[in-house]
Amino acid sequence: MKGLERSFYSKASMYSFIVLMVLFFLLWMSTGQFTKVKWASSGYMIASIIFFIGMTIRLTAWGLRPATQQMIKRSFQNMKTKKRQKRNTKAIVTTLVDNIILQKYIFKRGIYRGVQHWLIAWGCIGSLAITFALTFNWMSFKMVDPSTFAVVVFGFETLKMHPESIFAEMSYNALNITSSMLLVGLVMAITRRLKNNDLKVTERAEFDLLPLYLMLAMTVSGLVLTVSYKFLSGWMHPQMALIHQITVVVFLLYFPFGKLFHLPIRPLATAVPMNYQEEVGVDTKNCIGCDELYSNDDQITDVQAILGQQNFDFEMQDGHKLSDYCPACRRKIRVMNHLNMPSPFGKTMEEPVQTNNGIHIPGFGRERNETFYEDVKGEK
Amino acid sequence: MKKVMYLEFERCIGCRSCQAACRECGGHDAKERNYVEYIDFFESRQTYPMMCMQCKDPACAKVCPANAIQITEEGVVLSAMEEKCIGCRNCTFGCPFGIPKFDFEENKMYKCDMCYDRTKYDISPMCASVCPSDAIRFIDHDEMMELRRRRTQMNLIEGKKPSQNDKWQYVPEFFGVYSD
Repeated sequence: MKGLERSFYSKASMYSFIVLMVLFFLLWMSTGQFTKVKWASSGYMIASIIFFIGMTIRLTAWGLRPATQQMIKRSFQNMKTKKRQKRNTKAIVTTLVDNIILQKYIFKRGIYRGVQHWLIAWGCIGSLAITFALTFNWMSFKMVDPSTFAVVVFGFETLKMHPESIFAEMSYNALNITSSMLLVGLVMAITRRLKNNDLKVTERAEFDLLPLYLMLAMTVSGLVLTVSYKFLSGWMHPQMALIHQITVVVFLLYFPFGKLFHLPIRPLATAVPMNYQEEVGVDTKNCIGCDELYSNDDQITDVQAILGQQNFDFEMQDGHKLSDYCPACRRKIRVMNHLNMPSPFGKTMEEPVQTNNGIHIPGFGRERNETFYEDVKGEK
Repeated sequence: MKKVMYLEFERCIGCRSCQAACRECGGHDAKERNYVEYIDFFESRQTYPMMCMQCKDPACAKVCPANAIQITEEGVVLSAMEEKCIGCRNCTFGCPFGIPKFDFEENKMYKCDMCYDRTKYDISPMCASVCPSDAIRFIDHDEMMELRRRRTQMNLIEGKKPSQNDKWQYVPEFFGVYSD
């Protein structure tokens, strides 16, 4: 991989290239050597391709963060270890079911939030899957004989069904079903955003509200299309189709760069039961100060490695790192330092803990402009 | 935000009003995010209030694998974004001051955000607004420097000498001027 990487400008460009090649190959396969490309949906197709590239670049950038890299590295190590296979499988299955499919932890934050998120999440994932399947022609229907329809996946006939069976109706209306789910969830979410004052504290219009309104526009315009051709005999259909296409294109382009990017990073949650906590809330490592259980060895090793990589020096005089102590002991260490008292944990730290390591990552935190200091001085 | 948090641990009387106030803050979900603990229970009943330092370069954010901990333009380090937090607790172990708390039920981390909804408009955070003994204060930068200078004078009057650990208490102009 290293040799291949050298042929590209960056990791992101390498992965983007691979993803593009795979997409190209799949398109070639599913459209019968490009003979059956759906030109009517070419706008969706281009937007989807950009979506995949954007996703790849964002995921690569995210994976390059030392903290993420460390966690992924340990996950892969553990997945290769034969002894841990049982634990790995259990971790993956429980995370998949509890965390991703059922989203139990959101239901615990509130039934309303749970229902809302579940509807939006699965409406969105379903719609995306159908959109990609249709625009890239990965899946299509074919009439074998007047009483049999076949589902064609990547150019191969798979499932056969009667054109008026329930399953057939379901699959024709799949997008309507997912968009109705989305609509209900979105109305719930927007109501919550409008009503709940606590949310407004950290709410940002372009981050929290834009995706909601964008999805709403997309869903409503899509459902209007169905209404138009089913009940209004195609009234305003071409215009609505164009509006729907615009909203979907904007949504696809927005997806990898905004709030919705939390979707592809969620599978990382498997790392928690797989690497760190076999059972929720059960710790195995003792604090060297008070001997209470507070964490586990692997996680502390990882945290120390991540901090070390980023030049954080939290080492005490006796060679222990601050993360070898439990949070309560760390608070005590700080307060004793402040009060210049002899610490019960052996030698105290020589200087106050420095959290500013002098490395400033652009865009991470914003520096104040000069006028701020002038204002402060002016007040004197 | 032109004001600063100023803590004086010796002033704490252990009434825990700050914790009660913290629970009332909007968005805190009735859970306190600050601490009031005994310095050394076997020596004295002295307590201290403890809240987040709002580091300029926060270790908690740097150890977060999901990039969930964000910093506002005023420099306030917020709780993990609920949609990104994967519940690994790295932040609670990375933080050199032991500040972030973790909710196993809801699978998310929460920490002192200096009552961002209030301090954004220079209104004192909940804890500082209720502290009866002024152990936690939310004051102007100048006032803070004045207090520090007075502390120096008192230290010198009492005949205390600076040590490696607390030289900032004797020459406050040179150490830790946290105006940012």
